[in-house]
Amino acid sequence: MSIIRYEQTQGKSLGFYALIAGLGAFILAALAGVYYMEHNGHHVTGMSNRIVWGLPHVFALFLIVAASGALNIASIASVFQKKIYKPLSRLSGLVALALLAGGLMVLVLDLGRPDRLIVAMTEYNFNSIFAWNIILYNGFFAIVGVYLWMMFERRMNKYSRTVGIAAFTWRLILTTGTGSIFGFLVARQAYDAVMMAPMFVIMSFAFGLAFFILILMASYKWTERQLGDAIVNRLSNLLGVFVAAVLYFVAVYHVGNLYLAENSGVENFILVDGGIYTQLFWYGQIILGSLVPLALLYSPATRGNRTMLGLASVLIIVGGIVQLYVIIIGGQAYPMELFPGKEILEGYGGIAAYTPTLAELMLGLGGIAVSLIAVTYLIKFLPFLPESLADDVADPHHKG
Amino acid sequence: MKELNRRDFIKTTTATTAGVATIASGITLTTYAALPKESNPVTNEKRWGMLIDTNKLTESNIDDMVNACQEEHGWGDEAHSTGDQKAGWIKKVKVKDKATERISNLALMCQHCEEPPCVDVCPTNASMKREDGIVLVDRHLCIGCRYCMMACPYDARSFVHETLTDQKTHMPRGKGTVEACTMCVHKVDKGEAPACVASVASDAVIFGDLYDPTSKINQTLKKVQSTQIRADLNLNTGVRYSGI
Amino acid sequence: MSRLLIVFLSVMLSSVVAQADHHIPNLGEKATEFKDEGKEAHKRDGMSHAASLILQRKMHPELLSHKRDKTLRQGVRGGVIQLNKCVECHTSVDKNGEFIPVNAPDQFCSTCHKKVGTSLDCFSCHRTTPAEEL
Repeated sequence: MSIIRYEQTQGKSLGFYALIAGLGAFILAALAGVYYMEHNGHHVTGMSNRIVWGLPHVFALFLIVAASGALNIASIASVFQKKIYKPLSRLSGLVALALLAGGLMVLVLDLGRPDRLIVAMTEYNFNSIFAWNIILYNGFFAIVGVYLWMMFERRMNKYSRTVGIAAFTWRLILTTGTGSIFGFLVARQAYDAVMMAPMFVIMSFAFGLAFFILILMASYKWTERQLGDAIVNRLSNLLGVFVAAVLYFVAVYHVGNLYLAENSGVENFILVDGGIYTQLFWYGQIILGSLVPLALLYSPATRGNRTMLGLASVLIIVGGIVQLYVIIIGGQAYPMELFPGKEILEGYGGIAAYTPTLAELMLGLGGIAVSLIAVTYLIKFLPFLPESLADDVADPHHKG
Repeated sequence: MKELNRRDFIKTTTATTAGVATIASGITLTTYAALPKESNPVTNEKRWGMLIDTNKLTESNIDDMVNACQEEHGWGDEAHSTGDQKAGWIKKVKVKDKATERISNLALMCQHCEEPPCVDVCPTNASMKREDGIVLVDRHLCIGCRYCMMACPYDARSFVHETLTDQKTHMPRGKGTVEACTMCVHKVDKGEAPACVASVASDAVIFGDLYDPTSKINQTLKKVQSTQIRADLNLNTGVRYSGI
Repeated sequence: MSRLLIVFLSVMLSSVVAQADHHIPNLGEKATEFKDEGKEAHKRDGMSHAASLILQRKMHPELLSHKRDKTLRQGVRGGVIQLNKCVECHTSVDKNGEFIPVNAPDQFCSTCHKKVGTSLDCFSCHRTTPAEEL
């Protein structure tokens, strides 16, 4: 394996500026949506007192979960000492920070009082997992920032393993914390499960890697740099393993819930007669988001084909957004069991209705656009990408 | 007269200014004591609670309770909010027992739990419990994240979905913050009963100090069967119900 | 070096001149009556009336926040500092006899807050006119 040279991208082509312009348009649309929602109040959204967290939260939590997963590649290199992933570490750190920034932006802009963000940063209730998450997210920026510095600065390279281990631990705690936002809510049948925390960790592995693969392949293709099969195939296999792991956790979560009579109501709702939520779960999350990508990644007909890998990654991302939609919105739509053994005739109950509005969708997409624009710009300003990841350069076992 | 050099000038002036400032502030502090007095902080010697007897409570009673609360606090007629977006501090709930088919009507509002999940999850300490057990939202700190609404087992809280005007003086409420039944804390602090309790003439709804052995609520709770909604969550609610 | 000194001195001078602006705010209905009767509002013992007003202007945010925390969190009520009392005195009345919201442009709060450039958050929630009974 030869010495890896890192080089900034040119960033002067028409394509580059077109990309920036396109992403910028999404961001402007998002800001317009935010102004509309904040100025008028949330009555212009589909959210209500029954569905309090809507589409923006789906996107925000998706991006935040994916962010911690995107750091995996760097962790596998530094913490688990797999040399082949070493050249990808810088990009991995960058994608992690970019996705987190995008996710947090969406989360903060959906607050009822975003002007009070300073209050959220200065008045802490340490009993609240939400407050802990705020600390974890800010700390993530700091730790990954330091981690990237260790990787960039040659004199600091010897510390990158230590910082890498710290970053790895931090992101595990962070994703556990994010899952616990739901897992700690005893009030609702869909959430009262400690399982949510590790399930979110595994989801982060899959979503983060899917984003990373797409960004890696796109940036190498569009800057006409070489990306060898050795790396791509390994990433492809890894992605397949993570998707399978997510399927396992989802299965255990639902089967476990089905055994508990007290939760059979919500399980029935998600799995069988929840209308749109059931369709999204089976067609969106399971088939489109997990089974089809697994087929694309492992079937002999499509294995090794980069377009198929790209398609699989996109489907995993879409499936991930659908999964979070079912968890967050489906979980709120199903009514709480206020009076076990009794039927509520009026006053509360029933499946709460939710129709997302355009402004909410624009905000969510704007978050993804912010992440992508950050990556696009920063790989031009700093040498994040190796000049070449061709097999003879990147593969430690390459013969010749 | 001695020649005053710069150093001495600065020393003397600083000493004089510091002296005057100390004395002046002292005067201000002592004279403040002559102004109108504020009441004392509440303590945990009392715990406010409510007992709702669904056997005695009629549907029209509950409608009166809801109307009284709306009149008192000014919620419910948000012009731009639709359906579930409108504030709902107190609701009429009709339940049917699946086994016996017996129907009960009750009023459901914030249960003022002793271990409120909403207080646990609030990131900024906006959702709080007063020493005397009343659970409130400090809307100066509320960032409108709605996590407390996710956590509340009773769907008690409402989010303000639009700009509000013409609020009641004693009940400020505004866009982007969360609100709920305050157990009419502004009335309770004056020694009065909450608006909903006052609107029901019978003793279908009793309000009082749960810790006071001479209070009607304490004595009634010792005599009649009562329960908490979702008692299995062990929240030790301040609002209790008989007859369900 | 001398250029720097000129810039510094002119900034100092203009800040002094700016303070000297004796623009009188739109005090509001009751406050104007009070003043016209010769009474000294906000006068603190041991200080002149003018000094008391300066203190009131400087410290009203802190005084209000401190009291609001005591009222909301500890149930301390009454006393001198109450936001609705400020609104009672400092709202103006329009030609129909209706109270104008105290935070409207050219009303009491805005005349200072616009000049100083700080935003006012109280009245997104608090009532902007005296209580209905008044």
